[in-house]
Amino acid sequence: MSVPGTTPAASVTFDHVTKRYAGTGSGDRGAVEDLTLEVPAGRICVLVGPSGCGKTTSLKMVNRLIEPTSGRILIDGRDAAERDVTELRRSIGYVIQQVGLFPHQTIGENVGTVPRLLGWPEPRRRARSEELLALVGLDPATYRDRYPAQLSGGERQRVGVARALAADPPLMLMDEPFGAVDPIVRERLQNEFLRLQADLAKTILFVTHDIDEAIKLGDLVAVMETGGRLAQFGTPEEILASPASDFVARFVGADRGLKRLALSRVGDLPHRPAPTVRRGEDVAAAVARLDVPADYLLLVDDADRPIGWVPRRGLPATGEIDEGIADATSPLFDRRTTLKDALAMLIDAGVQAGIIVNERGAVAGLCAVEDITAAAGRPPVEAPPPDETPPPDEAPR
Amino acid sequence: MIRWDVIEGNLPLIAAKLGEHLALTGVAVGVGLVLSFGIVLLVRGRRRWVGPTLAVFGIIYTIPSLALLAFLVPFTRLTFLTAEIALVGYTLLILARNLLAGLDAVPADVLEAADAMGYSRVRRLWQVELPLALPLIVAGIRIATVTTIGLVMVTALIGYGGLGQVMLRGYNFRSDSLVVAGFVLTVALALVADLGLGWLGRTIAPWSRARRAGA
Repeated sequence: MSVPGTTPAASVTFDHVTKRYAGTGSGDRGAVEDLTLEVPAGRICVLVGPSGCGKTTSLKMVNRLIEPTSGRILIDGRDAAERDVTELRRSIGYVIQQVGLFPHQTIGENVGTVPRLLGWPEPRRRARSEELLALVGLDPATYRDRYPAQLSGGERQRVGVARALAADPPLMLMDEPFGAVDPIVRERLQNEFLRLQADLAKTILFVTHDIDEAIKLGDLVAVMETGGRLAQFGTPEEILASPASDFVARFVGADRGLKRLALSRVGDLPHRPAPTVRRGEDVAAAVARLDVPADYLLLVDDADRPIGWVPRRGLPATGEIDEGIADATSPLFDRRTTLKDALAMLIDAGVQAGIIVNERGAVAGLCAVEDITAAAGRPPVEAPPPDETPPPDEAPR
Repeated sequence: MIRWDVIEGNLPLIAAKLGEHLALTGVAVGVGLVLSFGIVLLVRGRRRWVGPTLAVFGIIYTIPSLALLAFLVPFTRLTFLTAEIALVGYTLLILARNLLAGLDAVPADVLEAADAMGYSRVRRLWQVELPLALPLIVAGIRIATVTTIGLVMVTALIGYGGLGQVMLRGYNFRSDSLVVAGFVLTVALALVADLGLGWLGRTIAPWSRARRAGA
């Protein structure tokens, strides 16, 4: 898949931006109070907060669907207020929850909207539409000539993203783009979005009320509170590890330690060495080789792939180790498994440690529950066991 | 009972009056459309004008047609203009109401997306709002046309009337055949207009029929 676009991403700066609405008691209508923050080029900044906190207002002030009461918004150092509004908007991608596809135009025409407004010739528009449909995972031949009403919610959302990318904007604004699809589709769209962004490296302002989505997608997270004030601006790690206020702590939730786990991967932790014994190995030699007094040994095949756990006491005194004595195995992780997923798999399997395997499936080490809880910034619930390799549960399922 | 020789003898008259009927109807609906479109565009930006405007059109609509013609004659005489003022007046309520309904039915998210992508106001109106409003606009044109075809008969009072003249002549000359010919042709005209515009309304919006078939 080719990476469309050569326009370098743009930085966005909010400089003391305030939006007040006429009338009293407008604090809950999405007003914004003295917002100052800077999003470096090529980053995803998620604006997150309860409804009425001004996050959508902030987003819409960037492409001037809403004009600020005071303050400036700079895009690559240029004041948005001084640019021609249609020209400004054509240079900013915009994706909203309801997508807003034109019902009377085909998918291909929808994707080619901004190129059409910019006066691209028809063949170039068409080629661009097809390139983008392919990019968001929709077969151009199948979808090009359909109407929006013929697509599912998830498909429409992809078309919305393709349309926003059509003129290769240096900046994208996304307002709860995955809010209206079911959780399974949302998760898939989020993952595709991150994969796309890894290639495109656009600057993206992303609005959501879902803190989990903010943590998952944001390079930077701006937590906003009712009244339109910025409560905290930082990386997801910073916000979870040290919330700046009670509001932020409450908003990110009591389980913020758990949420931090979604940000780290098994590969980030030091691996515990695995006490491995190979199939066919002589028992005495194997035991002598292991200097750790482990109660359980990990039986591996000739390519170091895990077979299962062998209780040390169950080993015959002499002879070869064969896989008939292997007990249950543990969940397998790779370096990219998030700690959150790893912990969930361990809890699910009812075991204390999982096996980390490399790309070839060979054992690379172990990852224990307490390694994960330590990474979450909390002490484990119980004191760590003595220095021994954690065995699988005594009575596996 | 029907004397075909009478009808044959009056064929030139019937053809001319059919043409007049079409002209009166076409001009009335055309002018009505332009007028109501302009007025709708003017009042749409200021929502509180919408109610009063429709109220005025509603009052015009309720004036009995014979009374309106009689009222106009002292001012504009027995002219085509008099006939058209009345006929156009009756189309305004129908056309304006459907124009407003059609434009209001354009989803807010579509308008927001259009604005955010850099459509100018005028371009958005022509390329997004009007195409989406078209099915309801055509529905309005259909009702207005069928109504006007009926109303044209009444303008026979001031010397127009299209096929109404044919029927009037039938009464005056005690010729049932002419009465029946005028009646049948008028009904046929209304029917053709109704079916034709109904078909147009369905084909003009292929997207609205394309529900997930084959998706």
